[in-house]
Amino acid sequence: MNLSLVAREATPGLLPGLNGLPRPAPPKVTKKPKKAVLFFEVEILDAKTREKLCFLDKVEPHATIAEIKNLFTKTHPQWYPARQSLRLDPKGKSLKDEDVLQKLPVGTTATLYFRDLGAQISWVTVFLTEYAGPLFIYLLFYFRVPFIYGHKYDFTSSRHTVVHLACICHSFHYVKRLLETLFVHRFSHGTMPLRNIFKNCTYYWGFAAWMAYYINHPLYTPPTYGAQQVKLALAIFVICQLGNFSIHMALRDLRPAGSKTRKIPYPTKNPFTWLFLLVSCPNYTYEVGSWIGFAIMTQCLPVALFSLVGFTQMTIWAKGKHRSYLKEFRDYPPLRMPIIPFLL
Amino acid sequence: MAAASATAVAKGNGGGGGRAGDASGTRKKKGPGPLATAYLVIYNVVMTAGWLVIAVGLVRAYLAKGSYHSLYYSIEKPLKFFQTGALLEVGIVPSSVVLTSFQVMSRVFLIWAVTHSVKEVQTEDSVLLFVIAWTITEIIRYSFYTFSLLNHLPYLIKWARYTLFIVLYPMGVSGELLTIYAALPFVRQAGLYSISLPNKYNFSFDYYAFLILIMISYIPIFPQLYFHMIHQRRKVLSHTEEHKKFE
Repeated sequence: MNLSLVAREATPGLLPGLNGLPRPAPPKVTKKPKKAVLFFEVEILDAKTREKLCFLDKVEPHATIAEIKNLFTKTHPQWYPARQSLRLDPKGKSLKDEDVLQKLPVGTTATLYFRDLGAQISWVTVFLTEYAGPLFIYLLFYFRVPFIYGHKYDFTSSRHTVVHLACICHSFHYVKRLLETLFVHRFSHGTMPLRNIFKNCTYYWGFAAWMAYYINHPLYTPPTYGAQQVKLALAIFVICQLGNFSIHMALRDLRPAGSKTRKIPYPTKNPFTWLFLLVSCPNYTYEVGSWIGFAIMTQCLPVALFSLVGFTQMTIWAKGKHRSYLKEFRDYPPLRMPIIPFLL
Repeated sequence: MAAASATAVAKGNGGGGGRAGDASGTRKKKGPGPLATAYLVIYNVVMTAGWLVIAVGLVRAYLAKGSYHSLYYSIEKPLKFFQTGALLEVGIVPSSVVLTSFQVMSRVFLIWAVTHSVKEVQTEDSVLLFVIAWTITEIIRYSFYTFSLLNHLPYLIKWARYTLFIVLYPMGVSGELLTIYAALPFVRQAGLYSISLPNKYNFSFDYYAFLILIMISYIPIFPQLYFHMIHQRRKVLSHTEEHKKFE
């Protein structure tokens, strides 16, 4: 049906679906070729109750899901776009913000199902909060703020060099993370569910307090093999921090600002990135390495446990990332393992 | 908590994995193959028998002694054996591995890390309280599974499983909490399972404080599990009204 032709008619034609909108003014006769503009209608139903939540008419065919979400928010302001999940099938996968309406397998009346993702919070906010905590908390223990250790130790300082070194390393690590969050990382998702911030902060802040308590304790025992052990551990830590940063920069350069493109990461001139030859997620590999270094440096069991838990989580993430690389790219290098070269 | 949580685990299983005939479960019941079914039936029969042994042991010891004090010793070995054996359920049960293992671990914790480890509490009456609660619960639960697998579930068993918990669950929880509480002074005195500073791994653990944390955790967890069971009961026993004539 050629709507523009119909629109030309003088009659106040109520075309099906236009719901009584005033008819568009008839176009003037120009030399421009007539283009058939077929508007879509979009109805949005609740995925669980099938209740009709919103009806959008005259939607441009090249409208994106992001634009549709914005339109939906106008009628339901409590559901801002970040907490909307729109899908073609109530039980199906969420449509992406970049998906274009006319490219979807829908008729001119598209039915989309809505699911509320719950209150959302931006990734940047979560990262900043979860990393600022450990930075601050560790320092409370380092400076032996009152009510942590016995009163006679208030504001005293450890006599062990390694304790001071550990504070520098731990603080450096989290300052680096904060700066990377602000200036380096490019997030593919803007938000995550609000409850994550409580979960994540409990984890980071809790472990930071637990580790810091022992390392800065008046009864702290320095490493068995003394300065040798500390030097070796520090070397591991520094190398892995540099490695981790190098990978973050390499990943950032893969993706232009504001885009969500995904490409296979490859080694660059920076030797730290050569780990890409062997693993999909060398950033995680280096991160585990950093914490192992820190554990050896402080010879503190809670640090080792924190490293183990972190390693477990990062392995899960690395395996997931590896799997999606394999799915997305046919030519994905076969030698690569998710996180540990040749092993895991 | 461990008492009723065992029933909650079973309830959480719903369909699949050999709970055929459980009207409360999910509708999609893909039963296990014949070999898996045979294994499950044998497992459930053995467990039912084991807990019956414990029940009989308790009764006999009571009759022999003439009192209900210190009956723990008469059933200590089968209790340890069959409750620990429940670890095998983790993974063969279709419900969440996290939930199942949490519940079995809490039972095993009470048996080994409290009752076995702190000998002084073995004569406490609170031990008998949770042992009885667990014994009755488990006999019913395992026979429920057995009959379900064989597709001949007597209504009485289903009713029992979804009703007796109302009394047995608080009874078991009380027994468990009182036992942990009784163990506290002895743990403190002996420094049981505790490490203090300084040591070369820069780590400390206070088992006494840990037990107190465990006791506190009952406060949020017990009501949730209990009311979940009440809710399940309403669902299961009302459905059964319709299916009753088919049994």
